[in-house]
Amino acid sequence: MYKKLRRFTVISIIGNYWQLLLTSLGQTLLLTLLSLFFAFIIGLIFGLMNVSKKKILNIIGVVYVDGIRGVPLIVLAYFVYFGVPALIRALGASNFKLSALVAGVISLSMNAGAYMAEIFRAGIQSVDKGQMEASRSLGLPYGTSMRKVVLPQAIRTMIPAIISQFIISLKDTSILSVIGFPELTKAGNIMVANTFAAFQVWGIVAVMYMVVIITLSRVAKNLERKLRREDV
Amino acid sequence: MDREPVIHVKDLKKSFGSLEVLKSISVDIYEGEVVVIIGPSGSGKSTFLRCLNRLEDITSGDVRVLNNDISSKHININKVRENIGMVFQHFNLFPHMSVLENITMAPTTLKLMTKEEAEKKGLELLKTVGLESKASTYPAQLSGGQKQRVAIARALEMNPKIMLFDEPTSALDPEMVGEVLNVMKELAKEGMTMCIVTHEIGFAREVASRVIFMDGGYIIEEGTPDEVFNNPKEKRTIDFLNKVL
Repeated sequence: MYKKLRRFTVISIIGNYWQLLLTSLGQTLLLTLLSLFFAFIIGLIFGLMNVSKKKILNIIGVVYVDGIRGVPLIVLAYFVYFGVPALIRALGASNFKLSALVAGVISLSMNAGAYMAEIFRAGIQSVDKGQMEASRSLGLPYGTSMRKVVLPQAIRTMIPAIISQFIISLKDTSILSVIGFPELTKAGNIMVANTFAAFQVWGIVAVMYMVVIITLSRVAKNLERKLRREDV
Repeated sequence: MDREPVIHVKDLKKSFGSLEVLKSISVDIYEGEVVVIIGPSGSGKSTFLRCLNRLEDITSGDVRVLNNDISSKHININKVRENIGMVFQHFNLFPHMSVLENITMAPTTLKLMTKEEAEKKGLELLKTVGLESKASTYPAQLSGGQKQRVAIARALEMNPKIMLFDEPTSALDPEMVGEVLNVMKELAKEGMTMCIVTHEIGFAREVASRVIFMDGGYIIEEGTPDEVFNNPKEKRTIDFLNKVL
């Protein structure tokens, strides 16, 4: 053990594996951004369902949000990556397979989408009821009023929550190493298998996550402060 | 009167859950009338006004506005609302749009006017409410009285045939009430059909062609300002006027 610790210093690991570290960090960010993009759309759709006056839409919204939030992401990932293709193969498409990226983006978007739906619901409800009424009284339909009047105001208040969901989803990508997606945590696994230098490797990986996330948090804080200033 | 009323309300009832706010309201309002609705809080005045453009769903009864049966589910309420301007107690300007954008947004979005037409008309309206210099300002930088005047201009931009005012001066500091009432007086002089819920008795005396006193979900008394304010017949009207005058 002592020998191995000496043989692989942090510097030498970074020297040998910097390409893997950077590409896997890139994959992590790619997965996060793609998932968040779809989560935003899913969140918008189900958030709107949840604030709708139509009971049936409320029910669909609640079932989705509670359903997805009730399943651990790792189980969802296994289900999408192994479960769903197995079913499709059983139904006849014998070569069906999902790539780890597609399965990863689907599971993470579904997961983050449920939380995003709640962010949208809270954001929309934070806008004064009078805004919708004023817009409707001018003859604008519900959907147009939402798009032109309510959502622009809601999204402003949602920005901090969206960024914190971004950070959560970024960390959640590590869970997708279990389906073999070549993101940063998976790279860590590979490096430990090659070097046996667990302490150094996981230290490096942890610091890399930390740097990205702290940078994002800073950006979020600044944005929040800026938005507050504009409100006055 | 043999003219068709612009607003015809017959046996209107409105409940919120088990609470019946409007018990039976019947009234006809004719073109060019300025109807002022007064009454104690909780009497249903605002709810009644909000039923006239269906911001509140109508529980039962007949409400015809400009020959549209708005109590019917099958009617395109948005089209009807284009002809009914509404001004709210809390202004409800859109804070993320400039004053001029607040005014032009609805007609341009609904493709009733081009951007140029809407802006030209908007600037004219801002002039008539005395705020032409504020066109590019955002609502947060306006005083309450200025906000309410912009809200009136925003409603007028749609060329409404009827204007509804829901306690337009109740949220204003006393020194700003006058500027808003003056704009409303001008509007009345021009012959706009107006329905106004207000506590400004002096204004009602001066401008109203008809005063309606509501209490407990009913119209208790109605008539000219002179009849209602100087010779009220109903005890509830007398009690109310004794309290507010």
